[in-house]
Amino acid sequence: MTRKAAIVGGNRIPFARSNKKYARASNQDMLTATIDGLVARHGLAGEQVGEVVAGAVLKHARDFNLTREAVLGSQLSPSTPAYDVQQACGTGLEAAVLVANKIALGQIESGIAGGTDTTSDAPLAVNDDLRKVLIAANNAKTLPDRLKLLGRIRPGQLVPDQPRNVEPRTGLSMGEHAAQTAKVWEISRESQDELAVASHHNLAAAYDRGFFDDLVTPFLSLTRDDNLRPDSSLEKLATLKPVFGKGEGATMTAANSTPLTDGASAVLLGSDEWAAEHNLPVWAHLVDAQTAAVDYVHGGEGLLMAPAYAMPVMLARNGLTLQDFDLYEIHEAFASTVLSTMKAWEDPGFCKEKLGLDAPLGPIDRSKLNVNGSSLAAGHPFAATGGRIVASLAKMLHELGPGKRGLISICAAGGQGVVAILES
Amino acid sequence: MGTPVVLPSAPSMGKLFAQAALTARGRGGSLPDTHLTRVAVEVDPEQVADYAEVCRFRFGDTLPPTFPHVLTFPLQVALMADRSFPLALPGLVHVRNRVDVVRPVSVSEKLDLEVWADRFAPHRSGATVDLVASVRSRGDEVWRGRSTYLARGAYAPAGPVPDVPDLEIGDVAQAAVWRVPDDAGRRYAKVSGDVNPIHLSGLTAKAFGFKRAIAHGMWVKARALAALGGRLPGSYSMDVSFRKPLFLPSTVTLSTGQRDGGWDLAVRGAKAGTDHVLATVRPL
Amino acid sequence: MSDWYRDFANSGIGSTITKQLGLPRPVRLRRYSPGQPLLDGPALVGSAGEGRLRAEVESVLKEDGVTVLSPVTADGEKGAKVAAVVLDATGVTTPADLAAAHDFLAPAVKRLGTNGRVVVLGEVPGEAPSPALAAARQALDGLVRSLAKELRAGATANLVYVPAGAEASVPGPLRFFLSGRSAYVDGQTVTLSAADVPSGDGGSTPLAGKVAVVTGAARGIGASIAEVLGRDGAHVVAVDVPAAGQALAQVANRIGGTALQLDITAPDAAQRLVEHVVQRHGGVDVVVHNAGITRDKLLVNMDAARWNSVLAVNLQAQLDMTQALLDAEGALKPGARIVAVSSQSGIAGNRGQTNYSASKAGVIGMVRSWAPEFASRGATINAVAPGFIVTEMTAKMPFGTREVGARLNSLQQGGLPVDVAEAIAWLAQPASAGVNGQVLRVCGQNLLGA
Repeated sequence: MTRKAAIVGGNRIPFARSNKKYARASNQDMLTATIDGLVARHGLAGEQVGEVVAGAVLKHARDFNLTREAVLGSQLSPSTPAYDVQQACGTGLEAAVLVANKIALGQIESGIAGGTDTTSDAPLAVNDDLRKVLIAANNAKTLPDRLKLLGRIRPGQLVPDQPRNVEPRTGLSMGEHAAQTAKVWEISRESQDELAVASHHNLAAAYDRGFFDDLVTPFLSLTRDDNLRPDSSLEKLATLKPVFGKGEGATMTAANSTPLTDGASAVLLGSDEWAAEHNLPVWAHLVDAQTAAVDYVHGGEGLLMAPAYAMPVMLARNGLTLQDFDLYEIHEAFASTVLSTMKAWEDPGFCKEKLGLDAPLGPIDRSKLNVNGSSLAAGHPFAATGGRIVASLAKMLHELGPGKRGLISICAAGGQGVVAILES
Repeated sequence: MGTPVVLPSAPSMGKLFAQAALTARGRGGSLPDTHLTRVAVEVDPEQVADYAEVCRFRFGDTLPPTFPHVLTFPLQVALMADRSFPLALPGLVHVRNRVDVVRPVSVSEKLDLEVWADRFAPHRSGATVDLVASVRSRGDEVWRGRSTYLARGAYAPAGPVPDVPDLEIGDVAQAAVWRVPDDAGRRYAKVSGDVNPIHLSGLTAKAFGFKRAIAHGMWVKARALAALGGRLPGSYSMDVSFRKPLFLPSTVTLSTGQRDGGWDLAVRGAKAGTDHVLATVRPL
Repeated sequence: MSDWYRDFANSGIGSTITKQLGLPRPVRLRRYSPGQPLLDGPALVGSAGEGRLRAEVESVLKEDGVTVLSPVTADGEKGAKVAAVVLDATGVTTPADLAAAHDFLAPAVKRLGTNGRVVVLGEVPGEAPSPALAAARQALDGLVRSLAKELRAGATANLVYVPAGAEASVPGPLRFFLSGRSAYVDGQTVTLSAADVPSGDGGSTPLAGKVAVVTGAARGIGASIAEVLGRDGAHVVAVDVPAAGQALAQVANRIGGTALQLDITAPDAAQRLVEHVVQRHGGVDVVVHNAGITRDKLLVNMDAARWNSVLAVNLQAQLDMTQALLDAEGALKPGARIVAVSSQSGIAGNRGQTNYSASKAGVIGMVRSWAPEFASRGATINAVAPGFIVTEMTAKMPFGTREVGARLNSLQQGGLPVDVAEAIAWLAQPASAGVNGQVLRVCGQNLLGA
């Protein structure tokens, strides 16, 4: 039996809506500030941790070694190793799983898992045609040859390719994909809006009771997530026009979908011994995790449905049912994603045909779901969401007392999903 | 008594350079005892972000440690451009710069700036003068700067020569290679407001006797300091001696060595090994 | 610190002008830095009457490498400057005995150099069995305060009352008042008490191995306190409101401490603080209640919110946190030190600050009331009352008011946050065990409320 990695703390900067407070901050700026906040909270200045693992979904070429660069700029010892990972919106959780596994195997005693993303400082790609001409011109031997090649550049080619939130293989945005799934599962507008309102109210309440005092460090004068609307209500949300999907059945609005957001998060993990040596509380252990992927291109499955497939595998391995948990954190990429996933787990047909189960996984007690708010309220800087959820859930389980279980489910682009179990 | 003069806003640098050039002749005498001040100056985060990018600092809540120089530099120029200043601004060469970071300063702090001239002293090839800056936040001095300028062939009134030892560094090892592009001067001018023509283009530099445009010393200093990001004491001074001008474009090396709780640094030509900038960083 | 007026007054021409105009000529105060000798020159030690502390004083000075001159040998070296003058006046029993104090001090003070120190040790007047004895002892207070006002060039004079049985408590306070740590403490009186005082002064890290909580540590005086405690060897838990978390993290990382984001007025704040120090540090040795706010208005115009918030942060939170630490098993380590930041306004009052002054006066009451209970635990609780410290509040004043305000004291200049921090760090030392229930003003002997 290998040991389980302990989650002993976390930090994130408040999440900011795209092109607002963090418009001028790069991924490296945000990740470094986040690590420094974590270091300060846990008294780690000048110390070396086993490994720092983090990533970003939208990444400049200059950030090929983003995490290591952030470590070098941070207050951690410069002899702390680091590497980058990327699994779309699963990045943060996947990073935590990687650190936890190395701790479990005894390869490291402590580690930091994190993620950062900015849609304000997203890399712009040179138009492919332009790139070809520029390379040819660069290789040209004579000046006339070069000028001739450069003369072939057309104005249209000077427009850079904007990074778009679309699936390369389907050309559809994530929201359009989610809208298709919402239609399949007949997710109502009202149920989506309810989930969104609950997210805002829960997050606001958590801030008010000081829950985030040891989870968030202000950055660039922002002290709370600026997407948070404590006064959000069903009446207000009902007035919004759908932005994804078409025609009569369209249900997805700007309020029940997450906005583009900038931010970063980090989680501190260690062996129980390391935590004890540093007098740090063990909030929870990372018990197990599972990833899955679906064929959303040709297989007829929804882009964001992979967690539905990952879950039974992990539950079976641990001898648990879907109801054996005290808290659930299902990432709110879209309200409809959360609701579709839960509906699928309750659906005998889906569970039998797609998951190969004799009986459905069954319902989740909604009073245990996303109790301190989730991405609809906080925002969703892709790679930073996993770290936000892991640290918050671990702390919540710790507050409930020993032996409490929590479940995490995060959907990711490319038809992937990551799920994990934490236990206090 | 030292005369405090409070300026309501940052003076326009272009105008000052022009005014200084027009009134360059016939200067002399002793230093004015004017203290130019600005109070409750708010830092523009956009300018900080631009500055951080050009000098390769991280952008965050903390001001890049050399940024207060950008805030106080216009006051320096205003003081030197004024007719009461004994030396002609065009032709002054920045030979030494010391910055004391008493503590990190937040972007959101309102800063009181104070600049005055000090140590007008003879030098083997002319005369030097120091422009001293003090930056306070809520009464606490958080930052000090001392820029030493050399006026070749000028005379300082007879008096004691300040005992400032030459800056020397110990062993350093190459840490980085910088390719400094042709437009480095223009880019730094844009974010710092230091539009001295010798930095802007080959043509304007030639007018002042340089064969090509030269990099701003304070940019080299800032970039060297940025390279130490995360490895600096909380409170320190960085003393820099500007040696041979760094012509643009150039490839240079940064060499570093840890010493006395701080650092020794050298920025040298990649080929010939010419000393462009030597620096020490020491805890305060 | 750039004090342009001070710098100017010390320049060649400035010196001439200020002398001619009779303007004050503030000097650059000798402030402490690690490794600095206790004194920059010899000390003159004398007694008035049959004092009982002279041997103790001389042994402390010699231990720190200070040359001790007695009045007799001193006469042989006329003109040589001395760095300190120490008078053991515990032998003063009648008003007539005070003449001996005058006889010693008058020639001695004449030889005091820049940033010199005068320390007078006396018996506690309140414990005197007769009115004449009490009068003679109390007279020292007036003597020292007036002398402090006469001293120039950064020199200070302070009085230490030493009751019988408290002799072992003397070295720590004596070193403080002689050293650069007390640069801005002038004209003050401290009454010692008997205590178990550990031997030695801890060298350059008197707080090594100690855990110190500092509230309001993100900036200003609080950040300075955190830095000085960290410099002296303590692991600092830097506390401030969550909104100041970014600056707080920087302070904590700078000194290798820990950041704790906590609104000290929250209902569960005291409990959270206790849990944090017990779990993360196995208890706390030093607590500095520094967090404070101002919401100034004339009393007649002051709304309830202004009144309540100032009292909640500046006073109630200090009471609640201290009580919670006392109540929780293992929260306060043996020999714990509490230092509460009061204010000159709490002593002298200040127009527009009824709420603030009330809270800061309340802090003094709290400290005095709790002192016996802390003494019974081998711990201490004291208050430090800053005067005109050049910081946040004072920076809001107009230029002229500030410049004048900064000089309305015997040292003719404003103090710095580090001056307050040094006084607090001294009270936090193990060697300060015999200082309890005291209110120490760090004000350069301000004219207000003196």
